[in-house]
Amino acid sequence: MGVAVALAIVLLLVGLGGGYVWGNSTAKSSSTSSVQLTETGSSLLYPLMTSWAAAYTGATISAASTGSGTGQSDAETGLVNIGASDGYLTTAAANNLINVPVAISAQLVYYNLPGLTGHLNLNGTMLAEIYNGTITTWNDPLILNAQNASLKTALNGLASETIHPIKRADSSGDTFLFTSFCYESWAKWPFGYGTSNLTGDTAATGATGNSGMVSALNSTANSVAYVGISYEASAGAEPNHLQYAALGDNNASTTAGGIVAANYILPTSTTISQDANLGLNGLNFTADQLEISLILGGSSAGPVTLSLGGGGSMPTLASPAPYPIVNLEYMLIKTAPTGSVVTSTALAATVAFLQWAISIGNWASGGTESTFLSAVHFIPLTPAVAGYDMQELATVQP
Amino acid sequence: MATNEGPNERIDPADDLRRGETWGLRWRTGFDRWMGLLLPLLFAVAILPIADLVYFISAKAVPTLSWHVVTSYSDYQAHDTLGVPLMTTFLFMALATSIAVVLGLFGGIAAAEFLPERAAGWVRMSANLLAGMPSVIVGYFGYFAFVLYFGWGLSFIAGVFTLAFFMTPYVYRTADLAFSSIPRPIREAAYGSGAKPVQYILRVGAPIAFPQILTGVFLAMAIGVGETAPIILTTQPGLLVPSTVFQPAVFMTYLIWTGFSQPAGSVALTLAYQAAFFIIVVVLALNIVVRVVAGRFRKRLQGLYQ
Amino acid sequence: MSPNPVRDVSADREPLPAPSSPTTAGPKRLRFRQPVWWLFAYIPAVVPAAIVIAIAATLLEASHLHNFGAAFFGLTFNSSTNQFGMLVFIVGSLLTAIPALLLSMGIGLGIAIASTTYLPRYLARILDPFVDLLAGIPSVVYGIWAFVVVAPIFGLVLNPWAVEHLSFVPGFAGNSLSPTTAGYGLPISIFVLTLMALPITTLLIRDALQSIPKDLWESGLALGATRWEVVRRVSLRQGSRGIWSAAFLGFGRAMGETVAVAMVIGSTAKLPTNVYDVTYTMASFMFETLDAAYGNSLYLSALAELALVLLAITFAVNLVGRRLVAHIYAEQVAGL
Repeated sequence: MGVAVALAIVLLLVGLGGGYVWGNSTAKSSSTSSVQLTETGSSLLYPLMTSWAAAYTGATISAASTGSGTGQSDAETGLVNIGASDGYLTTAAANNLINVPVAISAQLVYYNLPGLTGHLNLNGTMLAEIYNGTITTWNDPLILNAQNASLKTALNGLASETIHPIKRADSSGDTFLFTSFCYESWAKWPFGYGTSNLTGDTAATGATGNSGMVSALNSTANSVAYVGISYEASAGAEPNHLQYAALGDNNASTTAGGIVAANYILPTSTTISQDANLGLNGLNFTADQLEISLILGGSSAGPVTLSLGGGGSMPTLASPAPYPIVNLEYMLIKTAPTGSVVTSTALAATVAFLQWAISIGNWASGGTESTFLSAVHFIPLTPAVAGYDMQELATVQP
Repeated sequence: MATNEGPNERIDPADDLRRGETWGLRWRTGFDRWMGLLLPLLFAVAILPIADLVYFISAKAVPTLSWHVVTSYSDYQAHDTLGVPLMTTFLFMALATSIAVVLGLFGGIAAAEFLPERAAGWVRMSANLLAGMPSVIVGYFGYFAFVLYFGWGLSFIAGVFTLAFFMTPYVYRTADLAFSSIPRPIREAAYGSGAKPVQYILRVGAPIAFPQILTGVFLAMAIGVGETAPIILTTQPGLLVPSTVFQPAVFMTYLIWTGFSQPAGSVALTLAYQAAFFIIVVVLALNIVVRVVAGRFRKRLQGLYQ
Repeated sequence: MSPNPVRDVSADREPLPAPSSPTTAGPKRLRFRQPVWWLFAYIPAVVPAAIVIAIAATLLEASHLHNFGAAFFGLTFNSSTNQFGMLVFIVGSLLTAIPALLLSMGIGLGIAIASTTYLPRYLARILDPFVDLLAGIPSVVYGIWAFVVVAPIFGLVLNPWAVEHLSFVPGFAGNSLSPTTAGYGLPISIFVLTLMALPITTLLIRDALQSIPKDLWESGLALGATRWEVVRRVSLRQGSRGIWSAAFLGFGRAMGETVAVAMVIGSTAKLPTNVYDVTYTMASFMFETLDAAYGNSLYLSALAELALVLLAITFAVNLVGRRLVAHIYAEQVAGL
C-alpha cells in the first residue's frame, strides 16, 4: 500500500508541475508582456467591468464583485488597483484617491401584481413609506390617487392586499441608490442617506443579489422590489409578468387628498439620458468640486436636483421630466504609486485603461453608445463628465 | 388459555404470565419490527436532499461541460473556460495541504508524545476550538493577519495560509489520535528496546498510524476545497495561474459566489454551476478514498490485537 | 495463574486503549536539550492555540472595546442613528439553531440506531457514506439549492399546508405578512441547518453506539429483550456521553453556519411574530453587512463585538462537546 501511495504522490507532483508549465505557456498571449490589474467592488458594475476587461488588450484585468464598501476600503489601503463604487467617496482626497465616473446606470422599481395592465405610478414618498412600513396595503389612498382611472379601479379591487417590500440582503449599490432616493423624497425616512444595507428596515424581506430580487419578486405575490437596470431582461422573462413602475419625480406638488406628481416617467434610455444630461451639463466641475451621487429627475414644476455625497442637494436647472433614479458609477484609483500592488507601471496602465473605458468603452464609432453599455442597459457619460474625467486622470502621477 | 379439565383443573399461575407474556411479547416484538422498518427510512431524510442537490447542480452544469471548457486557459471572465480556476485550485489545495500537514503532523505527534499532559490538554482543546470556529471569523482573521498586518495583500499566499490554518486542526487531531492509540505494548516494546523518540516515530509509529493520518489529510482536503468565506476575504481572483505567490489567484468557490447572482445565460452563472459540480465531485471522490483507506486500516488494526 | 479452560473474557470487554493515558509507559515527559527539537515539536504543537488566541485578540482589537452598554442587547438596530441592538440576531440564531439541533438529533439517532442495529452490515456500509457526504457540500451550494429549489416548495406547499391544518397550535397561524409564497424565513432555515448538522450528529452517535462492547448487546438480547429495548435501555445509556457530545457539536455547527442561512433567512432585523416569519442570525448578519460597515467605525466595533459573542458561544459549546468524547477512540471523529 505504501508503494501505491508513493506512486500516487509522484504522479500528483508530475501532473502539477506539468500542468503548471503547460498552462502558463498557453495562457493569454499578452500575459507575459502586459500588466496585471486588479479591480474589486460594486456588484452593479461587475458585468460591465468583465466585458470591458475582455475587450481591452492593454492589460489583463481581473474583476471581483464584492460590494462598494469593500471596493472603497481596498482602494484606500492600496490592495487593488481599481475600486468600483456606486457612490462618491467623500474622503477620497484624504486617502490620495480620485473618484472617476465611468458610466451612468439607473434603477427600476418592479412590482408583482398580476392582472394589472400598464405601469403603476409610484413616487419616492410612497416607496419610502412602503419600505418603512407606514403604508401596508396596495389600496392605500396615497397610491390610489396617483393612478389613472382604470388602474385606480383595478388597484382598489385588490381590497387591502398587504404589500411585501423586498430589499437586498447583501450589501449593494442598488440599496445605496434606493436609500438615497427615499431619503431625498421623504422627510421622515429613518434609515439614513445612502446606506448599502437596509438592515434596520424591518418591513422588508431580503433576497441575495439582483437575480435573487427578481426571483423573490416572482415568487411573492403583491411584492415590490428595486432592481438594477441590467436585470430588465431577466425580470421581463419571469413567468409572473413582472412590471416596472413609472416613477414620479421628487418635486411633486401637493394637492388635497394626497400627493400627485405632475409627471410619472417610464425608464427608457431617452428619459435616463435626459436626466443625466440635464443634471450634469453646464456644471463647472473643477470649480465646484461637486460630489455627485444621485441624479434625481426634475419636473415641469421644479428643477433637477443633484444629490450630493454628504446628503445635501443642489438644485441646478429647470427641465422637462427625466427619470428619477439615475446615478454615476465611480472607479477609485490612487493618485501616486503606493505599496506593492499600485506600482508605477500598474498605475500608468490603470490610467490608460480608464481613458479607454471613458472613450471607447462608452461610445462606439459613429456616436452611438457602445455595445458594452447597451448590453447592460447603462448609458454613456455626458460630454461634461467625460471632460472632467480626463482632467482628473491628468492629475495622476504614476 | 387455561385448560378446562373439569372441576379439578388447577389454575396454573404461569398461564396468566404466559398470557400476559403473549400479548406483551407481541406488542414488543411488533414495535421492534416497526422500528426496524421506520428507522431505516430516516436515511431517506438524509439521502433524498443530497441526491436532489447533486442532481440539480449536475443538470445545470453537465450539459455545458466539454473537453475544451475544462482545459482551456483563456479568459474565464469572457468565456466559459475552467482551465485557470482548476489549475489554481489545485495549486491552492496542494500548498495549503502541505502547510496543514506539516503543522498538524508535527504538532499532533508532539502533543501525543512529547508535551506534558496538561499542556497537551490545552493544545488539544484549542485545536478543537479552531475546528469548530465559524469560517467567517477565520477569514476575518486571515484578512487582518496576512493581508494587512503581514502586508501580503489580496493574494494567493494569503488565501493559502488562511486555508491551511483552517485545515490544520483536522490533521492535528488525527495525528494526535493516531499516535495516542498505538497499542501500549508496542510502544513499550519500542522504548524498552532502546529506541530514541525519532526512531520510534519513524520506524514504529508512522507505519501504524499512516493510514489513519492519511484519512485525516483527505478529510481536511475535502473540508478545505469547499470553503468560501475565508477565500473571499483574503484573495483577489486572477485571470492567470499565479506565477509568484503574491499574485491574485482564483479559487473555485469564488466563482460560485460571484456567479450565482448574475443574469441567466451569462458566463459567470454557467461557471458557478460548473464549479459547484466539480467541487461536489472532488468531495465525493475524497470521501470514497477515505472510506477505502479507513476500511483497510480497520482490518489492519484488528491484526494488532492477536 | 491456574490453568483455566474458560477463556478470560475480561480482556474482550476492554475498549481500545484511551489516548495518552497518564500510565502509558515510555518516556512521556521527554526532556530535550537540543534546540532543534523545540522547532519540530513544540512550535507546531502550539500553533492551534496561537491561532485561537490571535483570532480572539484580533476581534478584541477591532472592537476597540467600545462599551455599547445595555443597548447592545436591545431590540433596535439602525446603523444610521448609531443604534446597534443585537438582540434580534442572537434570538434569531437561537431560534434557528435549537430546532435544527433537535431535529438533527432526532433524525441522527434514528439513522444511527438503524445503521448499527437494524440494517444488515453490507447495507449499512453502503448507506452510511451518503450521510457523511452531506458534510462535504460547500455551504454556498446548499444556499443556492435551497434558494432555487427548496424555497418554492416551502412557500407554495409546506407553509400553506401548515397554516391550513396546524393553525390551532400557537404560532402556527399565519398573518398577512408571513408566510409569503416565496418561502423564506424560519422553516426553510431550520431545514437547511438540520441537513448541515445531520452528518455530525449521526456520525458521533453512530460511533458512540458502535463503541459499546458487544457482550452488553448480546446479554441484553439473551435476557429476552427486543433489539429496540436493548438499544433504548442499554446502548443509549452507555453511549450517552457520545450522544451529548453530538448535541453540543451539532449545535455549534448550526450556530456557525453562515452563507447557506444568509440566502434563505429573509434578512430582516425583527423578532419573528410567528413560525414562518423572516429574521436574521448572527453569522449571516455579520457576513452580509461587513461591506456596509467599512465606513463607520462604530458599526465595525459593533460587528466585532457580535463576533466575540458568537465566538464565546461557539467556544463554550465546543468545549463541553469535545470533553465528553475525549475518552472515545474513533478514527473518524477526528475528521469533523
